[in-house]
Amino acid sequence: MNKVLIAICAAMLVFTGCSTKGGSQGKAGVEQRDLFDEKNKDEAARAARVQQEQEDLKRQMEEQKRKDEAARRAAESEQAVVKPLPESGMSEKSLSDPASMLRDPSNPLSKRSIYYDFDAYNIKEEFQSVVEAHAKFLLEHKTMKMRVEGNCDERGSREYNLALGQRRADSVKRALTLLGVPGKQIETVSFGSEKPKSNGHDDDAWAENRRSDLAYVGIDQ
Amino acid sequence: MNHNGIMSFGRTHALWRLVVCLLCLSAATARAQLTIEIVGGGGDQIPITVLPLSSEDKFQQRISEVVAADLSRSGRFRVQDIGSVRPLPSEPSEVNYRYWKNRGSQSLVIGKVTPRADGKVEVRFRMLDTAKEAQVVGYAYTITVPQLRAIAHKIADIIYEKLTGEPGVFSTRIAYVARFPQRFELHVADADGVNSQFILAHKEPIISPAWSPDGTRIAYVSFEQRRSIVFIHNLIDGTRRVLAAYDGINSAPAWSPDGKRIALALSKDGVTQVYLINPDGTGLARVTNSNSIDTEPSFAPDGKHLLFTSDRGGSPQIYRMGIAGDNVERMTFEGNYNVTPRYSPDGKTFAYIQRGQNRYSLALMDIATHQVQILTDSPLDGSPAFAPNGRLILYASIVGGHGILAAVSSDGRIKQKITASAQDVREPAWGPLVSTIERTTN
Repeated sequence: MNKVLIAICAAMLVFTGCSTKGGSQGKAGVEQRDLFDEKNKDEAARAARVQQEQEDLKRQMEEQKRKDEAARRAAESEQAVVKPLPESGMSEKSLSDPASMLRDPSNPLSKRSIYYDFDAYNIKEEFQSVVEAHAKFLLEHKTMKMRVEGNCDERGSREYNLALGQRRADSVKRALTLLGVPGKQIETVSFGSEKPKSNGHDDDAWAENRRSDLAYVGIDQ
Repeated sequence: MNHNGIMSFGRTHALWRLVVCLLCLSAATARAQLTIEIVGGGGDQIPITVLPLSSEDKFQQRISEVVAADLSRSGRFRVQDIGSVRPLPSEPSEVNYRYWKNRGSQSLVIGKVTPRADGKVEVRFRMLDTAKEAQVVGYAYTITVPQLRAIAHKIADIIYEKLTGEPGVFSTRIAYVARFPQRFELHVADADGVNSQFILAHKEPIISPAWSPDGTRIAYVSFEQRRSIVFIHNLIDGTRRVLAAYDGINSAPAWSPDGKRIALALSKDGVTQVYLINPDGTGLARVTNSNSIDTEPSFAPDGKHLLFTSDRGGSPQIYRMGIAGDNVERMTFEGNYNVTPRYSPDGKTFAYIQRGQNRYSLALMDIATHQVQILTDSPLDGSPAFAPNGRLILYASIVGGHGILAAVSSDGRIKQKITASAQDVREPAWGPLVSTIERTTN
């Protein structure tokens, strides 16, 4: 289709380049109609028609793509909730059930921790997608509340670590609010170095403990 | 929560009082005990002999043994054996000074314990200078039997002060946190580790205990409500109240020397800063004004300055300021991590934790000269706490994965090892000097 359009455009350029303007008065006063003009008009009309069809087609294709995408997502969600409930034996749930989305291991929302470099509180690039996924979720589910829990490794001052943990939690909250999440949907708390997840005393344990956890109130208690 | 952050417990508070009181009463069999032993003595130790007091063996608490252990543990004394003179003298007239001089005993402690008909006990002691063949000091006390150990500590204090010129700390108490699986306990013990009892226990962490200057209350940070909240605990009646439960962290309580204000680190206004507050929770005032972490305030003994930790310069360092937040002066310049400042009782130095080559060591800085002395070299030391006479510094350490307590003298020579029956102890705090027992001169 495109090749034909290009050919027509090229042809149009050739004709407009070569043609004289409209009709011209001949020497004998007889009106001479340039047959090429008529042909040009036809070509122009056809080109316009082709362009119109082209645009229609593009619109149709986008529309179809949107429909396909929605269908795919719908299919995925359906797949995720196809677990029979013991009480009712139903095998389907509402597509927007937040608890299921949060627990689905194939959903980026299931990632609940952001890890930090030593002494640092900035969110590393590798965790941007986690923040974005949770921001989107919170925006779509305005009654969900998140609690960000900041933690530090065991080294150094407990009190400074308590403050650093708070700073880590606050910076996650700030990242979420910059993505549009209302502040009242997010609370922050610091455990400093007081509640380590890993009880070792080596680099691996310390890396595991330098962490903000994203917990959903009422779901992750 | 009302607008100044104090929570009223209402019915819950009454229940808490009951629980806490029950905990106090049931602490008779304490699960955590401390044993403190000297592992490095000071230079120029003073030789002293402490003879058993006559009739002291009628009682379970042997006064001379407690006195001798106190003096020995201080690292300032070389306590000598009691020799072979029998019967042991209990009056100056009975003392053979030449015998003791020949044994190199410069100071000799003798005395007598006399039970009275009314059940009370009279205790007399005298310290003699064997070279001068004269009494240096002597007192008599009338006490009850349960006070025997306390009076022994008192006698040790008097001897210590007479011979070193410093106040003794044998009658003081220490606080610390013991961690068990699923449980944290805040303990108060005698300075020698004996009589350790918990005043608070629950399954969430407890940190930063801080004694009031009169020794009647302890402020601390508890996570029992799943976030950091500062409480003040009354040791006399076992009650407690919330001091600060604002949004964010509530932490690092430090009493002013007159007991009228408490410095805190709060993040309620968006960033952790130093504030002052009254012990009843009123009068909150912000002191620091930075966009960085400002925490760990420590009052100077004149009540006019605060040391604190701040990373306003890009890394955690120690700063000093007036209590109005004025005249902020940076104190530490070596390394990129200097934290947990603690003013010495005489205000001339401060202890702190310095990180160097991945080791966290206890250090001491002279405020006038900025000279630094490193006092320890284990990899994970923290939480320094001065004895109220400034001579010893109690601190926390991690050895073999377990939290332990230790003490070092301000000149680095005296070292004490503290063994706990609990596997993990941390967060020591040293209580103030108190004189509670009346005495009469003899």
